[in-house]
Amino acid sequence: MTKENHFHYSVERAWCPGCGDYSILSSVENALANLKKKPHEVLMVSGIGQAAKLPHYIKANGFDGLHGRALPAAFGAKVANHKLMVLVTSGDGDIYGEGGNHFIHAIRRNIDITLIVHNNQIYGLTKGQASPTSDLGMVTKTQPDGVFTIPFNPLEMAVTLDAAFVARSFSKDMAFTTKLIEEGIRTPGFSLIDVLQPCVSFNHVNTYKWYSDRVYQLDNSYDPTDKSKAYKKSSEWGDKIPIGVIFKNSRKTYLDNFIKHKDLPLIKRKTNIKEVDSLINELY
Amino acid sequence: MPFDFNITIAGSAGQGLQTIAGILTKVLARNGYHLFTSQDYMSRIRGGHNFTNIRVSDKPVYAPTVSSQLLVALDQESVEVHYQSLTGPAIIVHDSDTIKVIKARNIQVVAVPLAKLSNESGSPVYINSVAAGVLFSLLRLDLKDLVGFLETRFEEKSPEQIKGNINAATKGFTYTSENYQNIKTTIGTVRKKNRMLINGAESIAIGMIAGGVRFISAYPMSPSTGIFIYITGKAKKFGIISEQAEDEIAACNMALGAGAAGARSAVTTSGGGLSLMCEGISLAGAAEIPVVIANMQRPGPATGSPTRTAQEDLDLVLNIGHGEFPRFVFAPGTAEEAFYTSIHAMNLAEKYQVPVFILGDQHLVDSSITLDKLNPNKVKYKSYMVKSGNLKKPYLRYKNTKSGVSPLAYYGQDKVTFIVDSHVHTEDGHISEDMVVAEKLTEKRFRKINDMKKEFYGPQYYGLQNAKTVLVSWGSTYGAVRETIDYLLEKKKSVAMIHYNKIWPFPVEESIRLLKSRKDIRVVENNYQAQFNRLLKRETRIDTGEPILRYDGRPFDVRFIVKKFEKRQK
Ligand SMILES: Cc1ncc(C[n+]2csc(CCOP(=O)(O)OP(=O)(O)O)c2C)c(N)n1
Ligand code: SF4
Ligand SMILES: [Mg+2]
Repeated sequence: MTKENHFHYSVERAWCPGCGDYSILSSVENALANLKKKPHEVLMVSGIGQAAKLPHYIKANGFDGLHGRALPAAFGAKVANHKLMVLVTSGDGDIYGEGGNHFIHAIRRNIDITLIVHNNQIYGLTKGQASPTSDLGMVTKTQPDGVFTIPFNPLEMAVTLDAAFVARSFSKDMAFTTKLIEEGIRTPGFSLIDVLQPCVSFNHVNTYKWYSDRVYQLDNSYDPTDKSKAYKKSSEWGDKIPIGVIFKNSRKTYLDNFIKHKDLPLIKRKTNIKEVDSLINELY
Repeated sequence: MPFDFNITIAGSAGQGLQTIAGILTKVLARNGYHLFTSQDYMSRIRGGHNFTNIRVSDKPVYAPTVSSQLLVALDQESVEVHYQSLTGPAIIVHDSDTIKVIKARNIQVVAVPLAKLSNESGSPVYINSVAAGVLFSLLRLDLKDLVGFLETRFEEKSPEQIKGNINAATKGFTYTSENYQNIKTTIGTVRKKNRMLINGAESIAIGMIAGGVRFISAYPMSPSTGIFIYITGKAKKFGIISEQAEDEIAACNMALGAGAAGARSAVTTSGGGLSLMCEGISLAGAAEIPVVIANMQRPGPATGSPTRTAQEDLDLVLNIGHGEFPRFVFAPGTAEEAFYTSIHAMNLAEKYQVPVFILGDQHLVDSSITLDKLNPNKVKYKSYMVKSGNLKKPYLRYKNTKSGVSPLAYYGQDKVTFIVDSHVHTEDGHISEDMVVAEKLTEKRFRKINDMKKEFYGPQYYGLQNAKTVLVSWGSTYGAVRETIDYLLEKKKSVAMIHYNKIWPFPVEESIRLLKSRKDIRVVENNYQAQFNRLLKRETRIDTGEPILRYDGRPFDVRFIVKKFEKRQK
């Protein structure tokens, strides 16, 4: 299944057989190879969860930090070295739950990173509690009467906040996911690719079949630059679930305010001590 | 003739007492006076009441004094609040049209129609310049210096406003000179010398800049915000990026992302925000990411008193972050010390790849002192990253070295890849549950302590050699304790002080050497639980006497310490 490429890293993976995370990993590898990137030019950032293990399974730089805190760390790394290509791969619990506040503000900042959420609508690593995207009624050990908190719709939120690129995919559809990741990376600013990912061990509602029966690819007649249409499209969930580019919106990225691509990255800059003297002189 | 003169400028928020204090202190510093100025933002009796104390002397001064010889009362309340603390022969300056002052022996009243003179100069907003003019006349300062200041400092104002201010200042000056020629003041003369005036926030900020900070993130919280604002204001000039985060959790993790990528990073916060950074600090410990955390204390718990001072977070910074990992904790005593400490902090964070705390407080950041100079070359910026081209391959981010410190690279350096990780991990940063890996990793991190102990300087001694009684200060209590020592030495007491800036790793041997066989050891600190006293006893196993504590949100002064000290002595 996996095409050998220079991002491929052969190690044991602590994922269950059949988990949708494998295909997402392959899609990421393929997208990066298709974009002709080299491993040392790429940084993969994650939080904690099953999805968040991905940076350990790919040949690239990595930052595997805290549950929920991938986005601030990715922001810091991108600011420190804007020449790095920064991707975040983490779970729905991580990004939309524990890190929900950061999700909002990363979009507002429009920092040029690509966020890939492995949305299995469940907490995988902690063995099957509801996540912010779990459907109403899902019964778990911590939601014994079924989920009655209305699900969080990340796409609606991202469109509302004028994210630069908002897409949804289904992990099984690897070529499609690869293409969306490539497009997300190529789009300047903050890109969200929410990937529906079956968790075969704990989510017995949203299975491969459940997703396969519902997802449909958006075709050329859909215009992702129209915000009100995009908002409507993003709220579609149920018998039919659209996948593809939901919204595209070109606006200034965070670093456009400070840095041109050719500029020296922060990590290469040096403080001029003579100029520090000028600060001291201001105090006389 | 030696002199020690305290000026209190008091009023409600928005009356511009900062402006008057700003003009006066700048000119005094330029003329060679030694100053210690402190800010007190009160909120008692009918809403806000603020004051600034400006202590003027012919010799260096390190702490505030409570009693005052000159009060500028900008409202009636200021007269009532500060009347008691005037020591004669004192002066009260007030607006003759709006404020009433009861005449008393030993009080000289200078009643000037401040608002009227301001209006005559073209606008009611020039009142601060009128007051400045009054003060210049009373303190026998040169009107030319005041005019010069208004011309250069107010250059962003329109020519008309500058003229108005100068007019107003001149009117205040002339009115006072004509009507209050006979007022006796005790401010002496000093040899002219241009001194700088700096507060703790500026010194930490400039120290961080000199120490090569490249990225700073924070969520605003008093009293730390001044540092963040200062660096943000200079960010463009120095190629720094500053970001106001959505919360302190984000601020901390942003700094860690930037730090992992190879940019020197810092965060500024105060207690509540620090609490939110707890997990991030643990990540810095686990993933060995350099970061400087400037925590400026205010009284807690919870919201506490935002504009007051305290030293209640010592236990917190010594322990913050779950799990075990090494760290540095510094608590500079003065703005001067804070500057050099901040440069060290930036260097040491990178050298040892550990979190470094600068523990200050409201008293440190908001108080200004005069200094002859600061030398940004005294503590040099030094990079501890592997030089480009010198990376040994295969590169192991967490290489188990003898010193415990692994070679530090940035992502993609010399075309290598590596992962920075929060789990128990192998030398190449990958998750491991192997017990040998776990044990070795912990030992590697803690081996750093051996060299960390040798860094920086130990406790500083001041006073009589072999003194029987030793007062111990840490952080901003330095100034008041030092002046207490001077006071007690004059009374022929056998006293000295030991000041701690480096608090962790705790300088055990040096402490024992300095403290053993003293008759009485008294720690002075701004908290209830005597946190440093406990630490000192634990680390040295030396018994100490009853600590001198203050936990009312106010800084120490000599009178307070001496009173508590003598109470025990009886
Ligand atoms: C601060 C904190 N709280 C809780 C946890 C425990 N925890 C780890 S992963 C996780 C949820 C994982 O769910 P998700 O992000 O959806 O990832 P998945 O495993 O489903 O891929 C939780 C609750 C943690 N590691 N840190
Ligand atoms: S628990 Fe679920 S998400 Fe985790 S590896 Fe197994 S199938 Fe994948
Ligand atoms: Mg999940």
